[in-house]
Amino acid sequence: MKTIIKAVDLVKNYGDFPAVKGISFEIREGECFGFLGPNGAGKTTTVRMIHCVSPITSGTIMVDGLAANVDNRKIKAMTGVVPQEITLDNDLTVFENMMVFSKFFDIPRREARKRTDELIAFVELEAKRDNKISELSTGMKRRLLVARALLNKPSLIIADEPTTGLDPQARHLIWQRLRLLKNQGTTLILTTQYMEEAQQLCDRLVVMYEGKILKEGTPRQLIDDEIGREVVEIRIEAEEDARLIAELAPLACGHERAGDTLYFYCRDGRAIQKKLVELDLPNTVHRPATMEDVFLKLTGRSLIE
Amino acid sequence: MNLSRRAFLVFYRNLVSYKRFVVSTFIASLIQPLFYLITFGIGMGAYMGAFGGKTYLAFLVPGVLITSVMMSSTFESLYGAFVKMIHEKLYDSLIATPVSAEDAITGDILWGAFRGLISGGLMMAVAFFMGVFPVSVPAGLLLCILMILIGIMFGSMGMIVTSYAPNFDFFNYYTELVITPMLFFSGVFFPLDNFPAWMKTLAQFLPLTHAVQVSRAVYSGVYTKTLLLNLAFILALTAVAFAFGVGRMKKRLIK
Repeated sequence: MKTIIKAVDLVKNYGDFPAVKGISFEIREGECFGFLGPNGAGKTTTVRMIHCVSPITSGTIMVDGLAANVDNRKIKAMTGVVPQEITLDNDLTVFENMMVFSKFFDIPRREARKRTDELIAFVELEAKRDNKISELSTGMKRRLLVARALLNKPSLIIADEPTTGLDPQARHLIWQRLRLLKNQGTTLILTTQYMEEAQQLCDRLVVMYEGKILKEGTPRQLIDDEIGREVVEIRIEAEEDARLIAELAPLACGHERAGDTLYFYCRDGRAIQKKLVELDLPNTVHRPATMEDVFLKLTGRSLIE
Repeated sequence: MNLSRRAFLVFYRNLVSYKRFVVSTFIASLIQPLFYLITFGIGMGAYMGAFGGKTYLAFLVPGVLITSVMMSSTFESLYGAFVKMIHEKLYDSLIATPVSAEDAITGDILWGAFRGLISGGLMMAVAFFMGVFPVSVPAGLLLCILMILIGIMFGSMGMIVTSYAPNFDFFNYYTELVITPMLFFSGVFFPLDNFPAWMKTLAQFLPLTHAVQVSRAVYSGVYTKTLLLNLAFILALTAVAFAFGVGRMKKRLIK
């Protein structure tokens, strides 16, 4: 598959503060590429540099043969951005928001009207067409942001935490729409701190932490490499750790203590499970490993502020 | 500077949203200058005798008109731009499109100038019915061009202030320390001739002084050579404030 975005030794400093510390990555045409990381990891800064609204301190990004920081207008013309914050025009109606925005992309009026109607239907906002933005729920506003990002028929969509603060229905609707676009061949870049979102949408992803890329791979591969297949959680006092680890560690590929819980990571948890029954420990959970385990293992289980 | 015709698209965006506020802003931009004209022009003017062979109202109108341009364009650049930048994040969505930060800010400065033109135009209409009007139709058109220029000047100056503003309160420094004093020391309400020398000198540094001089000349049709200096001051300040204001705002928008 063709590489559409190539970033080399990308650095971004805000004054003295290094937000992105020399990362390199490649994104292929038609895939969904995820940037995962806690708050302040540098995800948003990175994607802002890709779509040319943040100057690059050093390093390069090529987007479909165009250099970010140089061919900004061309890159922006082919990109659709679903922003993290709700940046709709509050003074205008849903319809007017779309029509005014289409002007910025030089879309002729008749075509803009056609696309607006199609896209409003695409995100199921027909009933709100002539309502003002203040009359919409957060979920509707986010859906409109998705519709607005599609006005210029982008070949690249950047969605920066597109489902923050949404209820499950609204979140799933946005996921479905993004998947639909991907299936039509659009390249999708997603930043998120929701592991489920990453697993649902991303073909490949990187885990970012403190301005660096810690790991890169497919969700399945990352889980396999970092955790294994299954996780056994035991809620138990820390004093018991030494005894339990002695008993169980040989059966697992790794273990970790966080707060009130002792975690064992393994390929097959049945042996541990059996042992737990012997040890008569009732307060345990045995479940498949998820991206969340990878994320927490890589970025630490303590609070990041 | 990465400026393009797209600045006019930003202007257009403002025009679409303006529909909803048109009545309230008409009233707002009319009320205060109208009070000045009525209280000072008619009320006080009755005691003032003739000003160079004309009524006091005829002296007052060109100054009040250009002051209302200053107010409209300044407030658009201060509060209008600040709300768009911080509260509505409107600039963030603009600069994610082929619109550049320079286009967005320029569009809004032009918009402020347009708002100034509307305020000044309303003033001109009101004054017309009070019997004060420019000497000829071309003079009236020239006045419109002047209003746009003065609007761009004060709009650009306002953008510089906004680019530094951490919050709304910050604007008080500018309005109370720069804008309000200008209202009193720029020869809007009475000629500068009787001021002490140091105040006359001070007045020469106030952009409103020069704007008032030109406005008054266009209204009366009496052109003198010093007008060229006034005009040079206005053009130079406009160019510098525009370049600096747009540059500063760009730095704030594109981090």
